[in-house]
Amino acid sequence: MDVSQYLEIFIDETNGHLQNLSDCIMSLEKDPENMDTINEIFRAAHSLKGMAGTMGFKRMQRLTHDMENVFQEVRSGNMNVTSGLVDVLFQCLDAIDAYLENVKESSEEGTDDNEAIIKELNDILASETGNAPKKEESKPTEKEEKPKETLNGEKYQKKYQDIEFSEKEKDELRTSEEKGLNLYGITVYIQEDCLLKAARAFLVFKAVEDYGNIIVYNPSSQDIEDEKFGVDFSFYFASETPLEKIIEVSKAVSEIEEVVGEKVIYKELTVAAAKKEEEEAAKEAEKTKAAENVPASVVAPSKQPQTAKKQGQGKPVTNRTVRVDIEKLDALMNQVSELIIAKNSLVAIGSTSDGGTSGANSQAFHEQIEYLERITTSLHESVMKVRMVPIESVVQKFPRMIRDLSKKLDKKMELYMTGEDTELDRTVVDQIGDPLQHLLRNSADHGLESAETRRKRGKPEVGSIHLNAFQEGNNVIIEVSDDGNGIDTESVKNKAIERGLITPEQGAALSQKEIIDFLFMPSFSMAKKISDVSGRGVGLDVVKSNIETLGGDVEVKSVLGEGSKFIVRLPLTLAIIQALMVEVRNEKYAISLGSIETIEEIIADEIKFVQAKEVIHIRGMVIPLIRLDQLLDCEPEDEERESLTVIIVRKGDKFAGIIVDELNGQQEIVIKSLGKYINNSTKIISGATVLGDGEVALILDVNTLF
Amino acid sequence: MANNISVIADGKKQFIVVKIGSEQYGIDISYVDNIVRMQKITRVPKAQPYFKGIINLRGEIVPVMSIRTKMDLEPDVFTDVTRIIILKLEEHGVLGILVDEVKEVVTLGPSEIDKVAYDAKNNKSNFINGVGKHGEELISLFDTNSIIDETENV
Repeated sequence: MDVSQYLEIFIDETNGHLQNLSDCIMSLEKDPENMDTINEIFRAAHSLKGMAGTMGFKRMQRLTHDMENVFQEVRSGNMNVTSGLVDVLFQCLDAIDAYLENVKESSEEGTDDNEAIIKELNDILASETGNAPKKEESKPTEKEEKPKETLNGEKYQKKYQDIEFSEKEKDELRTSEEKGLNLYGITVYIQEDCLLKAARAFLVFKAVEDYGNIIVYNPSSQDIEDEKFGVDFSFYFASETPLEKIIEVSKAVSEIEEVVGEKVIYKELTVAAAKKEEEEAAKEAEKTKAAENVPASVVAPSKQPQTAKKQGQGKPVTNRTVRVDIEKLDALMNQVSELIIAKNSLVAIGSTSDGGTSGANSQAFHEQIEYLERITTSLHESVMKVRMVPIESVVQKFPRMIRDLSKKLDKKMELYMTGEDTELDRTVVDQIGDPLQHLLRNSADHGLESAETRRKRGKPEVGSIHLNAFQEGNNVIIEVSDDGNGIDTESVKNKAIERGLITPEQGAALSQKEIIDFLFMPSFSMAKKISDVSGRGVGLDVVKSNIETLGGDVEVKSVLGEGSKFIVRLPLTLAIIQALMVEVRNEKYAISLGSIETIEEIIADEIKFVQAKEVIHIRGMVIPLIRLDQLLDCEPEDEERESLTVIIVRKGDKFAGIIVDELNGQQEIVIKSLGKYINNSTKIISGATVLGDGEVALILDVNTLF
Repeated sequence: MANNISVIADGKKQFIVVKIGSEQYGIDISYVDNIVRMQKITRVPKAQPYFKGIINLRGEIVPVMSIRTKMDLEPDVFTDVTRIIILKLEEHGVLGILVDEVKEVVTLGPSEIDKVAYDAKNNKSNFINGVGKHGEELISLFDTNSIIDETENV
């Protein structure tokens, strides 16, 4: 059977289940007695198994099956959750994850049988429960078999008898019968753990439609397509073929548990239906109670309590979200960008054309432009919001990682996370995982001391690592902090001198920040020995460059002996920003409004010198000045101006003043890349934008000025 | 790599003939996306000296290179016939190069193209991978890939 169309759903749901399992196992380790968690794990493992089976991934199914066995025993109290078990379970999850990766790449699960893990699982199972691992025919099949035997008569009801017909359907039934076709009422039961019920139903319909026409669906065909039904569905069918054949082809579809049906006569049907209606009136009260679902359970709510309950539990098919390819959103975003550029040109025309000539017209024109401006801005915001996803998807794997690290490094540590719901642009979220992971590893490996040292220093034995995310203006801040040793700036400095990066004299003059910056240099590792976890010197520099590609930056605060804090600052949006347009020697530049603090007019005489650098003293602050014309290698001006325009920009708690020739007002700009050809190693120019009049302006990244 | 130029019937290739200084050069037409008139080029500070800057090509930002600077010729003089040839290169994206004038399109067969026999140490020849003979005229054929190559003589 072709299941490829479900592959995406499978991958998505498997991911979800894996994450769920991972979370649950983590919390189970802390609270091994919690029945809810155990049940949750059991359910997730069971779903995984079912899905893998459906998709034909045998190895994955086998592994999850054995996991399920273990939980079965845990659930029934025959074995306890031990740390060893948890380790093996995590290995299982990793193995499943590996299968999933293979599936993602090639639609195949790969060939790794993971025998070792399965054996380990079964060994634990055997030693804990004292009996040999039960093979294939364990729990789920039992569960299915048993009711089948005992409840056969009751369970597979001829639900089609409960169907009510509309006039049109009655007509169709009658005419079909008059044509000499046999009418069959058929009810199909799908296995309870079937995950793609709609697909099964579809296959059944497809199979039987070779032989005749389906006249009445119950639930409606739309509901069946949307999976809004329990484990059964019924239909009336007109055909020349004998009933046995129909039932046979229906049963041939996999995961169909039972098909019941019989030949019906139109007349009896309508009589029965009329009778049903009477009964129904009597059951009015009950009906309202169960009215939420398919008509079948409405008519006979008391007969099928189990099914009704199952429907309630089954995952509701939500219609409130749509899965959209990120590429489509990118395209939408590009179009919005184009729209904004077009709008900007209109604004430019509006402000230059001689508005006086056609009075009323011109005013209307301006009003419309303002209207357009409002719409494009809110359209942009909406599109941005669509692209925003919580960072949760990235950070949720970290607790597990820290647990593994804790074992590996033999240090006790705990990860505390806040702000997982902070939202960022999808592209940023996709790429922020690795840098964050690296920072956490760094904290765990280099930051935190061994338990012994911590005891000596009077710190709690269990080290803590915090990951806090929050929004600040147009930025999202993610802080990774630990209460470990902090950065030993002296030894970093010595290392830098040792490596010949600086002379001892230079070293003495360096600020703490400048010393810490060495850590971000390529292949500068402070680890005394290289470990699995970190210490190869490819690390912080990669973190830094990754974050910089996303338009963000990293800052470090550290107190020796008390811990360190890495602050990652990321822009909320990537594509469109509000910017202040400035001019230097007739060249136009844009500065992101987000980093601008104030704009000052100063007199040239107010400029003072500190360490031969120009500064100004404003409202109690000494702010270094940067002459943009010099910075950007512009032609020098003939005469020094008397009055200077200074843009005070801010990065964290640092300020700088940028001297420009002229201000050109605020504008919404679309960021475009300069491309790969132009060497932009200084990173002062972060991109370019097209202005309303078609001219190109460069975007200054003031963060590089600090 | 230099030879994966477009092949039309019986191994003939088409080139756009441009004038830079006193010489004629040919650019493999399969790389040419567009030819546009000279327009305002926005300078990019700190870029390589042979990059004149960037232009807005229908909303796209396109870097423009001065082939003269790259080949150590005297600086560009912009006239009415100055054109920017927009090259489209698979992995590298779009790039504009400045030429003094666009002359014509010629079709050269394999017999009309000679491999370069220049002194390999001569930098200028690094951009040329052949000389085409068109009637009485000689056309130096650009090796498009080496024009964009960042590693050599900056």
